[in-house]
Amino acid sequence: MSSPTAYLHRRTGALLPRRLRKPLLAFFVLGTLIAVSARLCKVDLSEFFPGLLKGVEVLRFFFPPDWSSLQEMLVPALVTVLLAAVATPLGVVLSFFFGLAGARNLSPPWLRSTARTLIGVERALPEIIVLLLLVAALGVGPFPGVIALAIGSVGMLGKLFADAIEELDAKVLESVGSVGATRSQIIRFAVLPEVMPALLSNSIFRFEVNIRASVLLGAVGAGGIGFELQKAMALLEYERAMMAVLVTLLLVFGAERVSDFLRRRVLDGGKLA
Amino acid sequence: MLNVEQLTKKLPDGRALLDGISFRVSRGEFVGVLGASGAGKSLTLRCILGLTRADGGTATLQANDGQTFELTTCKGRCQREARRRMGVIFQGFNLVKRLRVIDNVMIGRLAQIHPLRSWLYGFTDAEAAEALEALRRVKMEKYADRTTGSLSGGEMQRVAIARAVFQKPSLYLADEPIASLDPSNSLAIMKLLQPLAKETPVLGVFHQPEMTARFCTRVIAIKHGKIVYDGNPGLSHAQLEDIYGDELMQVLRPAPAALTPEDVSAVSPFSGRIDESTGGLLAKQTT
Repeated sequence: MSSPTAYLHRRTGALLPRRLRKPLLAFFVLGTLIAVSARLCKVDLSEFFPGLLKGVEVLRFFFPPDWSSLQEMLVPALVTVLLAAVATPLGVVLSFFFGLAGARNLSPPWLRSTARTLIGVERALPEIIVLLLLVAALGVGPFPGVIALAIGSVGMLGKLFADAIEELDAKVLESVGSVGATRSQIIRFAVLPEVMPALLSNSIFRFEVNIRASVLLGAVGAGGIGFELQKAMALLEYERAMMAVLVTLLLVFGAERVSDFLRRRVLDGGKLA
Repeated sequence: MLNVEQLTKKLPDGRALLDGISFRVSRGEFVGVLGASGAGKSLTLRCILGLTRADGGTATLQANDGQTFELTTCKGRCQREARRRMGVIFQGFNLVKRLRVIDNVMIGRLAQIHPLRSWLYGFTDAEAAEALEALRRVKMEKYADRTTGSLSGGEMQRVAIARAVFQKPSLYLADEPIASLDPSNSLAIMKLLQPLAKETPVLGVFHQPEMTARFCTRVIAIKHGKIVYDGNPGLSHAQLEDIYGDELMQVLRPAPAALTPEDVSAVSPFSGRIDESTGGLLAKQTT
């Protein structure tokens, strides 16, 4: 009796078993790519480890955190949250219209491709780049930050909403249309209720993402806790910077927990009700 | 009243799916349409509703309010006006699952109120009472506040009928309304449709000759896009054989139980290991 896999070897008759060829090929191609990239990016392990030690030494300057600055951090932290809190609903409303326009089952082809292209462009532009453009036009401050975050939200939510709408059962839309309803009524009575859970849970998730992004945008001129961090670093007040980092951690972690909780409520509600 | 004349629908290659369908549906009638799969039953209904555009012929709806609609040609506003006068029941119920039962019934009136009012959910108390009355008619008033998605198939079909009733149409169209229901629910739905037909004509597509024989006032049979029978609902075995051909036995008695894996392996010569090199598509015979 031959071994259970013998027929595989017999069939190919090659040096390598057929089932191993693709994985091996993939391994070599990926390995080469990584090696070349590392070379180009000047990855040098002999510099990395001494650098790491120096880093640990520098880290000493950050401790202990400057607790006395906590009070001064609270308002900027609030600004960061508010930035996201204003930008997210704005982005959600915009995204909803982009989602409707970008859904194949509601929009004519020209509108759909226009909306999809715009959404794609928005997604391709990182928030920071949008912010830098806006800062050049509107000046430094939270306002361009709000706009940048709202536009960034459309890039993600617009696509998700459009996809969610396209996945709706065409027969249900047809059925609501069969009573003579207009397109806007179909949206109100079939599309909106059916995509609401996806809309809410994605929007809540985007709020969480926006809080993180708003910290980052703060550092490049939108104000808030990110700006405090950047300021402290520039002034070499490392203990103060550490405090800003701690507040940021708390903020992001808190946002994540709240977002998880809310999303679970939304999704469970959809299942149980 | 519905008058269909020489309705035709062709595939791009010229093959006729509907080949000159003509019939009338008048007040007091419950017309059942029979035919094998692909004969053109549902397509006829879709052409009447304007969900599919016919290539030729006419379908004229004379509504209760005296207006006349040319269903195969009207578009946009005219089409919406025509559709509001036809209450449709689908095989898959096609209700909005996340809305409450009562909301799904309300949808029946959308074309009859101002869009702005519907957007704000501004239904009047009188309308709500009427919607409840429609639900009572299908014995679903207790479920008015339930989410539609939590209902069973038979219950959803009742709600769909309530929606059509609430619409106050001049004609009911039913596209295989009992095809995805069990026998007892099917019977219940037929019993609901029968009294409706006394007030407003019903045109329904069915797969069960025994149901149409029992409940309909008239039966139309379609074969290869042509009407081959139009008359008394009680069809003889020979007539059914002519309508259904090879499908007859599936129509007359339930399909045999699906084969279990044991049955398959008992007759299959391919018992043994699955050949992974073909992605498991072919069973490998052990030698």
